[in-house]
Amino acid sequence: MSPEAAHNEGSCITESCTGSCPEGQQKDSVFRFKFPEASLKKSRKRDDFLGQLNCGGIFLFAFFFFMALFPSLLAPCNPEERFLPYEAPSRDHLLGTNDIGNDILSELVYGARISMTVGFAASLVSTLIGTIIGLCSGYFRGTLDELLMGFTDVVLIIPKIPLIIVLGAYLRPSIWILVPVLGLLSWESTARVTRSKTLQLREAGYVKSARCMGFSSRHIMGSDILPNIYHVLLPKFMLATASAMISEASLSFLGLSDISMKSWGSMLSFAFFRGGFIQDMWWWYMPPGICITLCVISIALIGFGFETKQEEYAVDGEL
Amino acid sequence: MSGIARKVIRYLASLVLIIILNFTIPRLMPGDPVKNLIGEDVYVSENVMEELRTELGLDRPLYEQLESFLSDLLHLDLGYSYHLHAPVAEILLDRMGWTLLFVGVSVVFGALLGSLPGALAGWRPEKRTCRITGLAFITLSCTPPYFLALLFLYFFSFRLGLFPSKGFYDSPEIWSILHHLFLPICVMSVFSASRNFLIMRGSVIQEKKQLYALYARAKGLNDTGILFRHVIKNASLPIITLLALDFGFLFSGALFIEIIFSLNGIGTLIYGAIMGKDYPLLQGAFLVIALTALLANMLADLLYALIDPRVRRPV
Repeated sequence: MSPEAAHNEGSCITESCTGSCPEGQQKDSVFRFKFPEASLKKSRKRDDFLGQLNCGGIFLFAFFFFMALFPSLLAPCNPEERFLPYEAPSRDHLLGTNDIGNDILSELVYGARISMTVGFAASLVSTLIGTIIGLCSGYFRGTLDELLMGFTDVVLIIPKIPLIIVLGAYLRPSIWILVPVLGLLSWESTARVTRSKTLQLREAGYVKSARCMGFSSRHIMGSDILPNIYHVLLPKFMLATASAMISEASLSFLGLSDISMKSWGSMLSFAFFRGGFIQDMWWWYMPPGICITLCVISIALIGFGFETKQEEYAVDGEL
Repeated sequence: MSGIARKVIRYLASLVLIIILNFTIPRLMPGDPVKNLIGEDVYVSENVMEELRTELGLDRPLYEQLESFLSDLLHLDLGYSYHLHAPVAEILLDRMGWTLLFVGVSVVFGALLGSLPGALAGWRPEKRTCRITGLAFITLSCTPPYFLALLFLYFFSFRLGLFPSKGFYDSPEIWSILHHLFLPICVMSVFSASRNFLIMRGSVIQEKKQLYALYARAKGLNDTGILFRHVIKNASLPIITLLALDFGFLFSGALFIEIIFSLNGIGTLIYGAIMGKDYPLLQGAFLVIALTALLANMLADLLYALIDPRVRRPV
């Protein structure tokens, strides 16, 4: 959740600033300047570093994605199959076995699919909702804007994870409940960013002319504005995925996930609450934790990469 | 003025939404509402169920239920936990203090720990050390807080044996408490620092493009002077908003850390309530956390008006 939220707050603050003093902000952009000391060589070096990080992110992500798509190719055996419980790593079982004798490496590989499905599905839901709300409130402005943004602010204040915990405790835990709940509770930042971008775009020449030609609002929003906010939505989508994966891991840790579908979070939870931690079985609880972290980092790095590209794009557009 | 009115309306709306959520969730969820209101693992006979139904007013129309719910709320009556055999409000009050202490201290440490490196990293994003700290903080922010807590517990408590692994204190003395709380507070501070770092970095990068920074340079002020005297003041404003908006999130992070370190706060309480299907306790905990988050946001708004003169000035 962290990187995404962190970015939102950053953007919503700038937003509120532009809201309160739009003229000052515009003036500033006229006098845009750079401190001279960042020489060309240095900035190129920085680009390289960012590029490397981005490449690393994509590479890692590709690996996890492959793991999620074809688990049977990578896993040595079926995750349901039972061997001797509590075994230390050996040639047969590279990461040992857990309390009911499942091979941990296979579980790990199969867990990728569930963790990533939840992450992407939830963030798809939240991006969809956020985009629609942001588009409407930015395009129509006026009362609708006030209402929708007020609603967004209200939802923003409600603490998400406690609410999900309460809901998860009532409903029978399954990923088909987790996905909509996570999605329904994390669209606010996307809505805000979409709105501010739409506010800019609706004054653009091509949107105005489309309106003059009498296209319906829905058509304008769909075919003129949406393609142009795509580059803002993409990083948001990635960061929302990262945050949804962390939320999923946290909820599974509390035992609020489907027991039949073991994600990395529930593996960690089992390892902690069923003696893996006390018995010092690092091969049980370390791998899922490391996998979650690496996978989330890879997704977040891709998101950050998109974001820097988008900034460059924005600056180019201005000049 | 309209800005203040809008803020007040939003806070009221959030309050109403929180209360409505709390009222509807046990009644809308699948299963018997009586069961939902007293908790699932409690055994009661049919007769007692009927009695409870009348007592809880579940046979009355919805608006009357809402009315009695609100009046209970105003009397600070959050229901009765049949698991722990005590009123929910009392249990929560008992546990809340520790969690607030824990979260409060770590938030302050986290703000300091995150914003200083963040400011430096934003000021000179091209420097090697700044990039490395940046990567480190991104990594930290991508780690689930409880996994971080597990690692800390493993290395410092089990391996090195430097710190006790559970509880708030052995004997209620200040040193014992500090000793026990050191690790959880470390984890929590690092966790909140990683978020502050990213915000501060972005904020400084934005602020240093402003004209006042250029003016300070034109006057001949050196780099550190510009950063620490001028830029950092303006750049740290978003941190306040973040801290408030983040409060709910930090709080939930604290819940997990509490569970790992077996601290007897709200977190372990919630975990027990989930395991025992003790719904009234969960409800009460959610209400209290949501209200705390609301208060934190209000406080941040007030603080903002106090610190930033631009907010007070009529637009």
